[in-house]
Amino acid sequence: MSRSTPPQVQRLLWTRFSWRHARQAPWTTALLVLTLALGVAVYLAIRLANRAAVSSFRNFTDVVTAESDGMILAPAGSLPESLLTGLRKQFPDTPVHWVPVLESTAVEPGDGSEGIIGNRTTYTLLGVDWVALQNLAQARRAQGPETGSGSPPEPNRAHPSAAVLAQDQGSGSVGGATLQDAGTPGDQALLWARLQDPRAVLVPAAVAARLRSPTLRLVIQERIVDLRVAGVLPDDPEQPRAPDNLLLFDLPALQALTARPGQLDRIEFVLPEGPDRPARASALRRDLEGWASGRWLLSSPSERRDNAATMTQAFRLNLTILSLLALLVGLMLVYQALDGAVVRRREEIAILRSLGVEPGRIRRAWWIEAAVLGLCGGALGLLLGWAGAQGAVRGVGQTVNSLYYATTVRSASLDPVEAAVALILAVAASLAAGGWPARQAANTPPAQRLGRGRAQAGSRAPRWVLPGALALLGLGGLLATLPALRLEGGSRISLAAFGSALTWLLGAGLLAGLLPPMVLGRLAAWDRLSGPARLGLSHLRRPTGRHRLAIAGLVCAVAMTAGMAILVGSFDTTLRGWIERTFMADLYVSSEGAQSASTQNRIQPETWKSLVAEPEVVAANVVQAVELQLPGGSTLLFGGNPAFMRDQARIAWREAPTGDALWDPACNSGLALASESFSHRFRLHRGDTLTLPTPTGPKVVTLAGIFSDYGNERGAVVVQREHFAAWFGDELATSIIAKLRDSADAAAVRARWKAAHPGLAVYTQPHLRGEALRIFRQTFAITDALELIGVAVSVLGLGFTLASLLWERRDDLTTLRALGFRHGEIAWATTIESLVTATVGIGVGLAASLALGWLLIHRVNVQTFGWTLETDPPWLWMTGLALAVLTMAGLTGWSIGRWGASLPAEREE
Amino acid sequence: MWILALVITALVALPRHATDALTTPGPGTRESAPSTVARTFALPQPGRVFQFPADHGSHPEFKIEWWYLTGHLTSEGGRRHGFQATFFRRASEVSAAPHPSGTIAPAVASPATPPSPPNFANDEFFLAHMAWLDVDTKTFRHEERLNRRGWDAQADTNRLDVRNGNWSLQDLGPDAQGNPTLELRGGIQADLFWRMRLTPKKPLVVFGTNGVSRKAREPSAASHYLTFPRLSVTGELRRGSQTGRIEGEAWMDHELSSSQLGEGQVGWDWTSIQFFDGRELMAYRMRRDDGSTDPFSTVAWVGQDGRVSQWGPDRFTWRGEGQWKSPRSGGTYPATVLLTVPEPDGRPGPTWRIEPLCADQELSGGIGGVPYWEGACRVLDASGREVGRAFVEMTGYAGHLRRAL
Repeated sequence: MSRSTPPQVQRLLWTRFSWRHARQAPWTTALLVLTLALGVAVYLAIRLANRAAVSSFRNFTDVVTAESDGMILAPAGSLPESLLTGLRKQFPDTPVHWVPVLESTAVEPGDGSEGIIGNRTTYTLLGVDWVALQNLAQARRAQGPETGSGSPPEPNRAHPSAAVLAQDQGSGSVGGATLQDAGTPGDQALLWARLQDPRAVLVPAAVAARLRSPTLRLVIQERIVDLRVAGVLPDDPEQPRAPDNLLLFDLPALQALTARPGQLDRIEFVLPEGPDRPARASALRRDLEGWASGRWLLSSPSERRDNAATMTQAFRLNLTILSLLALLVGLMLVYQALDGAVVRRREEIAILRSLGVEPGRIRRAWWIEAAVLGLCGGALGLLLGWAGAQGAVRGVGQTVNSLYYATTVRSASLDPVEAAVALILAVAASLAAGGWPARQAANTPPAQRLGRGRAQAGSRAPRWVLPGALALLGLGGLLATLPALRLEGGSRISLAAFGSALTWLLGAGLLAGLLPPMVLGRLAAWDRLSGPARLGLSHLRRPTGRHRLAIAGLVCAVAMTAGMAILVGSFDTTLRGWIERTFMADLYVSSEGAQSASTQNRIQPETWKSLVAEPEVVAANVVQAVELQLPGGSTLLFGGNPAFMRDQARIAWREAPTGDALWDPACNSGLALASESFSHRFRLHRGDTLTLPTPTGPKVVTLAGIFSDYGNERGAVVVQREHFAAWFGDELATSIIAKLRDSADAAAVRARWKAAHPGLAVYTQPHLRGEALRIFRQTFAITDALELIGVAVSVLGLGFTLASLLWERRDDLTTLRALGFRHGEIAWATTIESLVTATVGIGVGLAASLALGWLLIHRVNVQTFGWTLETDPPWLWMTGLALAVLTMAGLTGWSIGRWGASLPAEREE
Repeated sequence: MWILALVITALVALPRHATDALTTPGPGTRESAPSTVARTFALPQPGRVFQFPADHGSHPEFKIEWWYLTGHLTSEGGRRHGFQATFFRRASEVSAAPHPSGTIAPAVASPATPPSPPNFANDEFFLAHMAWLDVDTKTFRHEERLNRRGWDAQADTNRLDVRNGNWSLQDLGPDAQGNPTLELRGGIQADLFWRMRLTPKKPLVVFGTNGVSRKAREPSAASHYLTFPRLSVTGELRRGSQTGRIEGEAWMDHELSSSQLGEGQVGWDWTSIQFFDGRELMAYRMRRDDGSTDPFSTVAWVGQDGRVSQWGPDRFTWRGEGQWKSPRSGGTYPATVLLTVPEPDGRPGPTWRIEPLCADQELSGGIGGVPYWEGACRVLDASGREVGRAFVEMTGYAGHLRRAL
């Protein structure tokens, strides 16, 4: 018979069974779809925002080279120009364009106030040889085939070179003002002028459109410079588009503007189009590797993009895992809702079974319902996720800016692959959640429900629950001891710790379900309780599987939320302490262009020397910095003053220095300090030696101490500035930290310095402390949003469970009413049941959150970022969370109790 | 060969009215342009005594200088080729100077204009053209390159050693007769690369009167025009992964000046012919805007003994026959040149028919912005017999040259 049921039955089942229920309870259906959508949306929003932030990393030279075949970089600091001559001598016959590049950053000047750090657009200043650009434009245009008449290259109007030298592009205008190159034909002396003008710049169309005059005022290094807009970069859809924050300079002009004569940041190489270009590129790269022999590094635009992706990998993975947890909680809700639906429709299923509909079809009907739910939720989730990504992308972008590299990412596009994955995830999750209910529905015997059925009886938990829970907790403990997974480039991911968190959450959830009967069974004052109280509690003395599930859901949500809160709270406390101890000087000076982690704005020696010579300054720490490429990944090398750090800051030592050599510039040339992140990342400790690549040759230093630092996760090495300057041959400073005379008025000195050097950012100690905290908290904005969603979903889940339980017990409710129970009393009984369920969930959840918090602080955080934090759970916040969840649980129990009390005994939904 | 003036002036503006002192106003006279100071340049002086090998090298005191090689080659298997290799040097008319005060807002730093950095100098530009013709397949390839004086382009002042990227022309030292042996490295993109050894078969020739070659009425429009009219060429050609031998003959000009164009001139035609009988001929016709030939046009014979005899435009005629229209620039060039010149002894001479080995030998001017035709030709006598090989240059046919200049 089962095989003879026509397929129309399946359609009938859908329209008369699934779809009818959905229509009759539109709000429940909508809520379910919305919940699923929310889970999917959170996941998708984070994924899209991550993708946008990663793809926003640009190799700006692509605009000029249309992606070069490779590049030569210094392992630390800059490349000398003499390398160019060496390259041409080494490869005299090779047809290749060597493209020397200098890169810097700049921002538009502020209003003079201390202001918010990081809220202004950072421009990337790209210096390339404007004259040689012409050759690149030609090289990048494919020659015609070698048959028939050759097709020589034509001028490429879409290449930036066109904006440099083409004579007819003077039609460009900025804010209505004609550009200086808009000379009439025959007025070509202006062309010379453009190349000789040390402040000529080419700007993207977006910048040109908003300028009111052909002058662009920027803070370059620490100076305010009026640049002359000499042309507008062409915008051709077939060419790599110039990013809106790219400014193109003639290389020697930028060298002069940034006070970096003779220095290059990299040399890219571009092979002319023609046969076997990939093979030629590989051969050249091979030859270059032999020639560079460790002195220089070889890379490529794609490798640089990969590095940027690797750099942010741990951060992005953490966010993705958090977003998946939101989806997991959503799943639980779907499970609870579908399970409730099985309960409510049990009579119908039994009738269908009696009519001969085989179990397989009923199971399929549930599968289809779950799949449709997944599709609807997924589709809505795509929309919500895409919208949410626009908000999330700013959060992710700000964090990437603060910690990794400059990004101007403002929006995230809906990537088809990510969207498809999210949709598949939604459907798969919905099917997974609907699996058990579908089986329950299919197993409903025909006879069972034809007569009056009974609610699912309370039962002992299966025997495996206790040992299973203990095993999970044990496994979690084991996983927590495992080290992080090390990735290429020095990134680490705490996969085992995340696994530990998951097993602990599951274990705690299982364990929590066992608690109500254990506690209530021993309740001595049972007899003194009121009727509604006894009624409410009686269900928990022998809880159903649904009770246990609701408790587990709450445990998970509360544990995750509170666990994250413990991490954030501990971080906050640690950072405040660190900021107070570290920022003890009076004034902090940097270029006003220093707005992000990747800023290259520096302070020129004559400026910082004049400041530290001011009479109010009693001590100063002049800091220089350079990115360092070590075999294990990139890190930062600072030149500073260890004695100043000792005297003017209370450093939190992870491994304190011994002896006095470190503090004496005359004796500390072979010594260095390293941050804790560095120590974790490169597995080096006090007493270990480290080889630093410098332009004057490798320098071997011994680590004299390891200090706590929360400024970045890539790590930092600090050496005496005087040695740094000698090794790197320049004295450009990233910042100056000044201790003033006790009698000096820091605000007045700040105002005076600012007036004398408008391109400097001069911060007083309180302002900088406030900004440091603000930037830190900003990076946790996304986490906060994820937490709120987790709590909301778990409370909703509790409501669903209670509603299912009451529906199942509606016959009992009728009996209770017949026995004289009033509606209020029934609602009170439900409220008590809900409150106790919630209390157990919250209690165990909070206990689990402590374990989770420990895991996040002492394992994930240390392993991923190398930051040791003080544990400081935010008890008040956690109490607030408990009360909020309890209140919501009480209100949910009450309202569902009122609704349940009104249910007719024989009512069909 | 004044294509230098054509291409480079399109880039950097050659003043139309040069003076003897050749002091040109810099763009600092415009309010919006940066301040610059004018430079002065030397002018060719009659009777100059050249000192070699230094005078084969660069002369920075002159504004414009080029080393210009053209030739006919045969590769393995007897395939015929034409090649052109030109290295130009052009000095800036202005040199950088600090900006005048007042152009920068108060409280704004005023970075002084830095001196021209040695690796990326702004005082001299180097342009180079390479062209290669495969006569059998009628394939003409060319490439242009522009660099500023510095790490990737430079010219030695003590000897011939001029470089532009991976292209170079070097004096390797004197041979047994004291003539320089030159090495040329050049190529086209990634497709071709050649290395040639060039040895003069005839002594150096100095064209013009008393060492000065006039190009226009203005006294400044003149050059020192030094030529190796016939050099033997041996070398190798790399095409992809294959390398083969090449050999043949070439012509080389080395010209230095500070201004070449005159009022009313719109373009020019130039040719060099190497006759099979061992003589050479060079002719240029300056074309005026009314279609006439400028009086400062010249034809010159180089006899088998190296003796030079030259005449003005009243003694020779240059006529075009037929047309070839460029599909790229739209320029219409004469398809064939008919050149009637007197014999070296002054008697009326025959008309030579100069036919391109391939119609399309136009250089697109991708960098300079001014297309011109420069190509390998054969020379036929009245009976249609091939009597020599030539190179012809025709400028000002694609667009208005004056406007570009």
